[in-house]
Amino acid sequence: MTEAQDLPGRAAAAPATGRRRGRWPHLALEVRQHMPGPQQALMLGASLVAGIAISTLVLVAAGVPAGNLLDEFVISIFTRPRNLANVLVYTAPLVIVGLAAAVAFRARFWNIGIEGQMIFGAIGATLIANHDIGPEGARLYLMAATAAFAGMVWMLVPALLKLRLEVNEIISTLLLNYVAFNFLLFLLYGPWKDPQSAFPHSKMYDAAERLTRIGFFNVDTSIYLAFALAVGCFLLLVVSRFGFLLNFVHANPKMARAMGVRVAVLVLSAALVSAALAGVAGFVISAGIDNRMTQSFFVGYGFSGILIGFLARNNPVLVVFFAALIAVLMVAGQGLQVFYQIPSSMVLLIQAIIVICAAASEFLIRYRLRLVR
Amino acid sequence: MRSPAAISAGALAAVLLAPLTGPATAEPFQLDGDPAPAFVIFSQVNDGGWSQALDEARQRVEDHFGLRIPYVENVPESASAIRPAVELLIDRGANIIVGSAFGYSDTFLELAEEYPNVAFMNPAGTTNAANLQSIYGRTYQSQYLCGMAAAAVSETGRLGFVGANPFGLVNWTINAYLLGARQINPDATVTAVFTGAWNDPVREREAVIALAEQGIDVIGQHVDTPTPPIVAGELGIYATGHHRDLSEFSDATQCSSVWVWDRYLIPEIESIVAGTWEPSPWGAFASIAEGGTDIVCCGDAVPEEAVARIMEERQALLDGKQIYAGPLVDRDGVERVAAGEVIGDGDLWGMDWFLPGVIAQ
Repeated sequence: MTEAQDLPGRAAAAPATGRRRGRWPHLALEVRQHMPGPQQALMLGASLVAGIAISTLVLVAAGVPAGNLLDEFVISIFTRPRNLANVLVYTAPLVIVGLAAAVAFRARFWNIGIEGQMIFGAIGATLIANHDIGPEGARLYLMAATAAFAGMVWMLVPALLKLRLEVNEIISTLLLNYVAFNFLLFLLYGPWKDPQSAFPHSKMYDAAERLTRIGFFNVDTSIYLAFALAVGCFLLLVVSRFGFLLNFVHANPKMARAMGVRVAVLVLSAALVSAALAGVAGFVISAGIDNRMTQSFFVGYGFSGILIGFLARNNPVLVVFFAALIAVLMVAGQGLQVFYQIPSSMVLLIQAIIVICAAASEFLIRYRLRLVR
Repeated sequence: MRSPAAISAGALAAVLLAPLTGPATAEPFQLDGDPAPAFVIFSQVNDGGWSQALDEARQRVEDHFGLRIPYVENVPESASAIRPAVELLIDRGANIIVGSAFGYSDTFLELAEEYPNVAFMNPAGTTNAANLQSIYGRTYQSQYLCGMAAAAVSETGRLGFVGANPFGLVNWTINAYLLGARQINPDATVTAVFTGAWNDPVREREAVIALAEQGIDVIGQHVDTPTPPIVAGELGIYATGHHRDLSEFSDATQCSSVWVWDRYLIPEIESIVAGTWEPSPWGAFASIAEGGTDIVCCGDAVPEEAVARIMEERQALLDGKQIYAGPLVDRDGVERVAAGEVIGDGDLWGMDWFLPGVIAQ
């Protein structure tokens, strides 16, 4: 404080010597006009490298042998096909929840209720599976469609509350997660508990109700579905008229309304698409990974989805990249525990460092640091 | 803990049908090379409860065999997290994998089929195979003894109990807590509150406060955190713990029902090494004598005479005494265990009734 108070006085005294503080070389922030795509990618890559470098320093400081990290850890984690398969399995649902977040955020609809919509999606899929509704050949499609529909139904409540009564969707979607979770527990401890064992998970899906494996270890067709949905969202958000109008709404809803854009319809549509995607994510985890609905299948995906949507700046192509990055960080983090017996809190720290560095690239893409002389 | 384990109605059916389909002539599991155990742990190893109890057992197994036993912690109950952890451990040479959660059951079964040369054990699991053994403890035995301690320090005879979810393995601890309490005070009651979660300190705190406001002066628990004894200590009442010795968190703790996994795992690993390990197709259900749960008892408030009685009952359990021995009639008047009989394991896992004296919704 005292220094700050001193400064004007010094500055006042300074002209005599011609030395004003502003003349000293210092760093200034400048807004960039636009950075070309490849340069943005380079900036992101450089940020990730910086994050990995910092993480390596942290690990070495914690006693992990530095040479060993490259020639043993990196080689064994990143060259084994089985580890790649595990990354892909985890990537598929992450892509879908990332897309769910990106679509909603593009409309400035802050959907914090992805987990609740996932729960309803899985409930919808399990309803079809439990009652063997529809022919076996169409069962999976029916389950997926019901999951998307159930997610949308669960979204109708907060979306209409927002549009009709201006209830903040951050609060309503978040709180409805707990309602959905308690409904899930009611089903799993009550009417839907495993009839064979009375344990609190739904009965095992039949073979026709499980996503088939594609022949690469345990990777199932959800990876194709995730990529197809990413392409679909790219078309919707980047190519279509809907996406164009949504950009308008994102930039300035009041202006958009004044220009005759039907903002309410657009926001409602984006919220419903987001919820449908979240519902499908619930279906993918239940029918692809767990083969039944469990009590905890959704845990963590809501916030991972928000993180991925944020890092990807709501761009569906980048969603795929960041979902894969989060999946790699998870498997590599477990690898660090297995190899070096570092605590999981240290793994979380390293994952956070890398994610924060990736997020920081956004800053460097928007602004330039310039040395002012 | 994380939910349930071993015997199920389906597994029982399998047992009953076994004579019809011919006896299974499974060979004992043969381990390739030296034993290399590794643990996959559900939560953090310093969670103060379920996961920490397993990690402490891991360290005792390490000391016993002179081995270094790696672990991966914080592995949620999702196949997408369990599988990479287990496969990374197997890649690094592990050939005995010890899990720690109900939600690992399906994935462990798949992995056991894919890795027939690896032995799998899963505390709180429900699946079994030629190289996979799920294990749970007869926790009603230790909770029965803690119920005795609770009644011995209660002035009102009204005990409270904070449970996670109302199903078999929580219900059996509540009924056992009452049966134990009535050994000391025939008029004791147990008021149970379910929080709906294994790990929810906020709701556990609310539950303890609500129970204390009704005049209840000892709180038992079957949830994963040490919150109930901590809150009981703040309110000046007593508590009993579960998973680990919770007196480390609060002096209010008068008895703890504690996991002693090393007592189970050490002989199992020895039998795996010896080539005589044959997992039971319906899981292991370890009693106090076999390394399930035991007690750490008692706190200062428990009178000498009661301590002696608790230790007597513990010895009786070690010698084979049955807690759920008939005649037992539930609070709705339905006979659950006939006179002269003891409850079967299938009925324990399916227990959806309470004894008269249990107050719960």
